[in-house]
Amino acid sequence: MKSIKKLKPLAAVVGAGRTKFGELWYKNPEELLTEAGLKAVESVEHGLMRKDIQTCYFGSFLYQVTNKLALIPGYMARELGMNIPMSNTEAACGSGGSALYNACLGIRSGVYDVALVGGFEKMTDRSGKIIDDLMFAGDPHEFDAGYTFAGLYASMMARYIHDYGDGSDGRCREALALVACKNHHHAVGNEYAQFRREFSVDDVFNSPLVADPVRMLHCSPVSDGAVALVVVSPEVAKKYTDTPIYIVGSQQATDDVSISSRESLTGIKATRLAMEKVLKETSMTMGDIQVAEVHDCFTIEEIFFLEDSGFCKKGEGWKIVYDSYNSFKGSKHIPYVNGDREMVVNAGGGLKADGHPVGATGVRQVYECFKQLRGEAGGNQVDNTLNVALCHNIGGTGGIATVHILMRELQ
Amino acid sequence: MSEPITRRKILVDYRIRAAKCENCGRVYFPPKSFCNVEGRRSRMRLVDHFYEKGTLVSGSVIRVHTKKFDYLQSFLSGVIHFQQDNLKVPGRITDYVPPPEEVDVTEFIDREVVPRFRKTYTDGASGLIYYSSMNFSFEDDYYPFQEYKPIKPSGSKNEGKPGIVGYGVYLPKFRIKNDGQDVLGVMERGLPFADEDTTTFAVEAGKRALIHSAIDSRYVKKCFVGSESAPYAVNPSMSTVSQVLELGEKYEDGFFSGGIDSQFACKAATDLFIDAAALVAYPTFGGEYVMVIGADNSQAAAGDPLDYTVGAGGTAFIFGKQDVIATLDCYVPYTSDTPDFYRRDGEEYPKHGGRFTGIPAYFKHVGTAMRAVLKACDLTPKDIQYVANHSPNAKFPYQVAIEAGFDREQIEPGLVVKDIGNLYSGSCPTALAAVLDIAEPDDKILMTSYGSGAGSDAYIFTVTNEIERKRERSITVKEQIENPHRQYVDYCTYRRWKER
Repeated sequence: MKSIKKLKPLAAVVGAGRTKFGELWYKNPEELLTEAGLKAVESVEHGLMRKDIQTCYFGSFLYQVTNKLALIPGYMARELGMNIPMSNTEAACGSGGSALYNACLGIRSGVYDVALVGGFEKMTDRSGKIIDDLMFAGDPHEFDAGYTFAGLYASMMARYIHDYGDGSDGRCREALALVACKNHHHAVGNEYAQFRREFSVDDVFNSPLVADPVRMLHCSPVSDGAVALVVVSPEVAKKYTDTPIYIVGSQQATDDVSISSRESLTGIKATRLAMEKVLKETSMTMGDIQVAEVHDCFTIEEIFFLEDSGFCKKGEGWKIVYDSYNSFKGSKHIPYVNGDREMVVNAGGGLKADGHPVGATGVRQVYECFKQLRGEAGGNQVDNTLNVALCHNIGGTGGIATVHILMRELQ
Repeated sequence: MSEPITRRKILVDYRIRAAKCENCGRVYFPPKSFCNVEGRRSRMRLVDHFYEKGTLVSGSVIRVHTKKFDYLQSFLSGVIHFQQDNLKVPGRITDYVPPPEEVDVTEFIDREVVPRFRKTYTDGASGLIYYSSMNFSFEDDYYPFQEYKPIKPSGSKNEGKPGIVGYGVYLPKFRIKNDGQDVLGVMERGLPFADEDTTTFAVEAGKRALIHSAIDSRYVKKCFVGSESAPYAVNPSMSTVSQVLELGEKYEDGFFSGGIDSQFACKAATDLFIDAAALVAYPTFGGEYVMVIGADNSQAAAGDPLDYTVGAGGTAFIFGKQDVIATLDCYVPYTSDTPDFYRRDGEEYPKHGGRFTGIPAYFKHVGTAMRAVLKACDLTPKDIQYVANHSPNAKFPYQVAIEAGFDREQIEPGLVVKDIGNLYSGSCPTALAAVLDIAEPDDKILMTSYGSGAGSDAYIFTVTNEIERKRERSITVKEQIENPHRQYVDYCTYRRWKER
């Protein structure tokens, strides 16, 4: 932490709101977004009038398909009763993070001081067809090969087990289950989470096969939900709250949409590149990150993050998970420990347990960090001394990765 | 999927086409117009991987699948690496049926795989059928890998008697036994895997014929596909075969070649042998080779007696004048309007015309043609080494040959129907292939087909010395019948896969 220099913030989050995640039968997607948006606006400590909002950045992947509607700015102009500039970003599961990235650019450009950022998805309306729909974020040749998203990640997981888990006596496979156990454990205290119950390693290994070696409990769920943030320029942040959460790093990188065209199946290049850039931008190391909301759409992805971010060496992510989980003696959040580095990952349950309404996820990660850094996470609070958090959101199987670093107190 | 999208996919998927930068050797899939490294210096050309062997980088057994793959239930998908171009593509492993319990897919990593032209999925019963070569079988599983290396013909293209230049047989991996009892001599039969149909059989047989003959596919100017189970009522299998195998001189994204699908019950292919031979001898034709394929996913209604004799597969012959393995010496067709077996347009399964099937139909036409062709060539049964007859079962072809004066030794090698079933349009061609597999130079072969409706074509071939030189490139019918990797299925699976 001492290594952190005085940073010039890019933007500040002054309000945040979300819906519960899960099967939300009675709400249309625009209603979910409105609910989250109003909560975010109402959460602003010193008050925020609708007229103060100068622009909206939304993130969503599939609403055209799931709900047969398009032009979300038009719907939201109706819902909010406003005629301001609005845009929607589509980057599959990375839509929410990309929307925030774009909002930061808008604010950094000086054009806007106050933006509403929203992520949403309504997936359960298409429960029977959502597996097909999600493959829009894959290469068409992957679809034609019979792949599903679980299958694509399963292929990455199998290669990881083959390359790094050989000789582990089953501990590598167990670590891949423990990611799920840990994140479900974290979600118990999260009132908005889709699944607030514990699962054991045996539960994971006994859950139905989805795409060998991926079982149902290795996967994040199909969810509905929306999350919104009020993001402002640092200069006006204190006008809205005494405790703004500053965005000090915002970076994005991309890679080939298809896993088969990538250099490696055992990591996400876009994550690695975005992480290198954001750590350079903030002059931080992974040792400075206290809590991280990581894109754990499948448990292997959380292990990839530990390695791609530099938290640990390549091929050692599963050992960090295994050792950290099994050496943990407390009852609350289970941190990953690597030497003197300690980081709580997915304090709210992550995509795995909190839920994964695709376009909402990247924004939900910032919501969680915002609450944790302000000490407002209630029964799910990690501790009240947190100052640095990281959000990692990827799209597809790693075609895009967006990372944000948030701080409560600038050094 | 729209037709334009389908057409664009065909150009990539049928041959596993990628773009290669000639400056630095980097390869891109799907093809792209410039090299990421060379930029404006890029010199890109298209490269195919249809005849190459790859390895499985990783994979997954897909249990919860997309709607398009309902027909396969669970299957193995993976990433395939082609070593030579350092190219990786996604693909599905075909002919593999995962067990219900978890499969340790890490054990499949680095196994070698071979591209197979198969169905990907269909747009329902009335929509387009999508095919691709990005389906792979394990190289050490059922089908051995074969290289395709065209060899320059040894003689002049204006010389030589027309005949068979090469052939290829495709018999599926999966079989069903007739419950331990033979039905008219048929003990077991082949059946298509869920992603196979007559067109995929035709492509695989044609591919093997090109490999066996070692001719350059661009000199094949005509292709005939004879079948009574073509996947489309309108839209030829022949154009798919030509596109995949690149038959004819290439021009833009098509080929200067032609052909048709033909239908005459089980003699749809053999009827065109003489046309193929005639074309290559006809100067105006302008081509050097003609491919004739007989292929069928032989249809039979559940419970019909045919349901216990029908098989699946196909055989392709390439006719030309150079480096022939068997000259076509004599031909006699015999035809009458005999309604012994038929399928009305729109009906799913064929029907027998009752008592017409035997003596007034098969025996009359086959027997007459056999005798006539011997007479035309002034030969006796003793001058013939092998008989290859259309085989609706194992008894008819045996009996008709005995009645014509042949003995068991001449008949038995062509009676592969006992182990593969009745391949309809592929039946007689496969019997011919089985005897060519063992024939010696100067042997004479009498082949007589039969098609309901009704007619027979009798041909006499004389084997040449060339057959020995090409033998190492063939996968014989016997090898396929006895392949230790063949898999047996139950009757329910047989019906499910056969009816797709």
